[in-house]
Amino acid sequence: MVVFFVIPLLLTVVWSVFERTMFWMEPGFTLFSYENFFFSARLENFVVSMLHSSVSVFFSFLIGFPIAVFIRRRVAKIAQHRVMLLFILPFMVSEIIRIFALRPILSRNGLINNFLMDFNFIDSPISAFVFTPTGVVIGEIVSFLPFMIFSTFLALEAIPNYVFEVCADLGVNRRRMFKDILLPLAAPGLFAGGVFIFVNGIGIALIPTILGGPGSVNAGLIATQAIIALDFPLAMAVSAIMMFTLMGLLFIGHKLFNLTKLLEPIS
Amino acid sequence: MFKTRRNFLKKSALVAASTALSQSLIMEAFAADPLKIWTIGVAKVTKTWDEMGKQAGVPLTYSAKSGSADQAIQKFFVGDGQKLYDAITDNGGGQEDAMSDNGAIVPIDTSKIKNWKNLLPRYNEGNAGANTIRNKKGEIVGVPYISNADSMAYNKTKVGGDINTWDALFDSQFKGYAAMQNDSGPTLTTTAIYLKESGKQDIVNPSDMSKSEVKGVCEFLIGMKKKGQFRTFWDGFGNGVDLLASEEVLVSSCWEPIAVIAAKKGADIHYGTMKEGHQTWNNVWMLTKGGKQRGQEANFYKLMDMYLSPWFGARTLSNLGFTPQMTGVNEYVNANPDTFDAKAKKTIAARLVGKEARMAVKGNSWQNLYPKEMRAYQDWWSKVQAA
Repeated sequence: MVVFFVIPLLLTVVWSVFERTMFWMEPGFTLFSYENFFFSARLENFVVSMLHSSVSVFFSFLIGFPIAVFIRRRVAKIAQHRVMLLFILPFMVSEIIRIFALRPILSRNGLINNFLMDFNFIDSPISAFVFTPTGVVIGEIVSFLPFMIFSTFLALEAIPNYVFEVCADLGVNRRRMFKDILLPLAAPGLFAGGVFIFVNGIGIALIPTILGGPGSVNAGLIATQAIIALDFPLAMAVSAIMMFTLMGLLFIGHKLFNLTKLLEPIS
Repeated sequence: MFKTRRNFLKKSALVAASTALSQSLIMEAFAADPLKIWTIGVAKVTKTWDEMGKQAGVPLTYSAKSGSADQAIQKFFVGDGQKLYDAITDNGGGQEDAMSDNGAIVPIDTSKIKNWKNLLPRYNEGNAGANTIRNKKGEIVGVPYISNADSMAYNKTKVGGDINTWDALFDSQFKGYAAMQNDSGPTLTTTAIYLKESGKQDIVNPSDMSKSEVKGVCEFLIGMKKKGQFRTFWDGFGNGVDLLASEEVLVSSCWEPIAVIAAKKGADIHYGTMKEGHQTWNNVWMLTKGGKQRGQEANFYKLMDMYLSPWFGARTLSNLGFTPQMTGVNEYVNANPDTFDAKAKKTIAARLVGKEARMAVKGNSWQNLYPKEMRAYQDWWSKVQAA
């Protein structure tokens, strides 16, 4: 914990207040990198990328939650883990290929537009599927949806079967089952999945690079671009801000949902 | 110990001779090691690096490098680059100064490179490219092996003819079908060249703009972006190719190899000469201090002989469309009909003509990796991205 988390985090914070030199940095204390971040368009880019990631989390919940519930409740116990393994398969393909493969599907001359035009649903291709914020959100959902399914399933797996049996005996309808049973009990898993998606969404530079519009960036790309421009203290400041954002999220999540429940043994 | 001066001199001479001998033996022993090179993939024009080594007569150990300048800076200024690599490549136009100023590379003895005489005259002192291979003291520290004047690729069938002005990139008739590179350096320089040469903005040096000039250029790009002119800013070779090959964009400022490969994929992609000018650049080989200390100088010069031979020039032009840095390419191609058939000869000749035309445009501006107002470039570029 100390070697892999505390020391790197401390170093990141320390370097972020160093003085920038032409090609590296030198010890000192300046908040210029933070000023450079918070009082420039970088903050706007950071906030927009958080917004996109939040939308991705929301849609991943809409898609992933029913899938996790279906596997937990409708698939035979013996096969549940095997079915979950199927969602790992996409991760065996390089991420860049997975994301790039969306281009021929979503582009103006892509499969979806061709299909819609062939069947006369539209007259001209829809440009908004890719090279737009929509493209980034689609890319994030496709890439990170399994995280939502895994963590939600994990949370649901911890719910003893008798809970569902009692609900059935008492004639609880689906809406109440969802609202009062599944959602509260799956909340730690949903939150954990949401954090995974959110953090990857703001951190992984590939998706806005390949599917985003002109100049589309996220926090990861802001840091990368600072490194390319040899502004190492700025890159460290962006990384520190990302880490503190994440830690803040985890703290709130833990207070609200007690995330340790996820790691408790299944009774 | 030394009873007479003669004895002293004899013993001193013996010690000096044995030291020199052992040093040269050590150097030779080191030189028998492969030359450890750190370079970009396009420096290879054969199938394997072994073949490149055989052609040069030097065993090579290759490590892959990105085209990004920060990588070499990090590896050599704060990393273990000196231990790892004998020779590296990077962009001329700033990087050679940075590397030389910090003692990462050493001056090159051009008299030891037989093919140095082939080098294009643009690198002679006083000419446009001279500074890109020299350090601030005027010593030669880089051997250029590829270069280009970056221009615009366009889909001739779809745009209805040839294009010879950057106006097209910003023309509303191609709204949503234009792309530029997602890199502040080339994109701001290219836009500055256009704005300067078309009389739309006063800019002294498009490669080294003042803060207010950077602001003007970026505000122009922000305006264009808000109007929906750009489909995207491409990043990476494959990305650039795909945009043109899939006809997702019809006009794009890009590297020539992107246009070459996109055309090979079937789209009617051409690479024009823009009347306003282009950002010109080169990539150079450098001998590291560590490489020299390990006795790899002779191997380095052998390798440079290969890189300055028409053998390499013809292949880099034919395969990827990079500009050869030496004279005699056409003659070499004509003398080797088994390697270059009539079609390849025609392609090479046409590309050379196109390159000469682009290089001759008055408004061209050489790449500058470290403009004086770099922070303004970065800050304004983030505003372009946020717009």
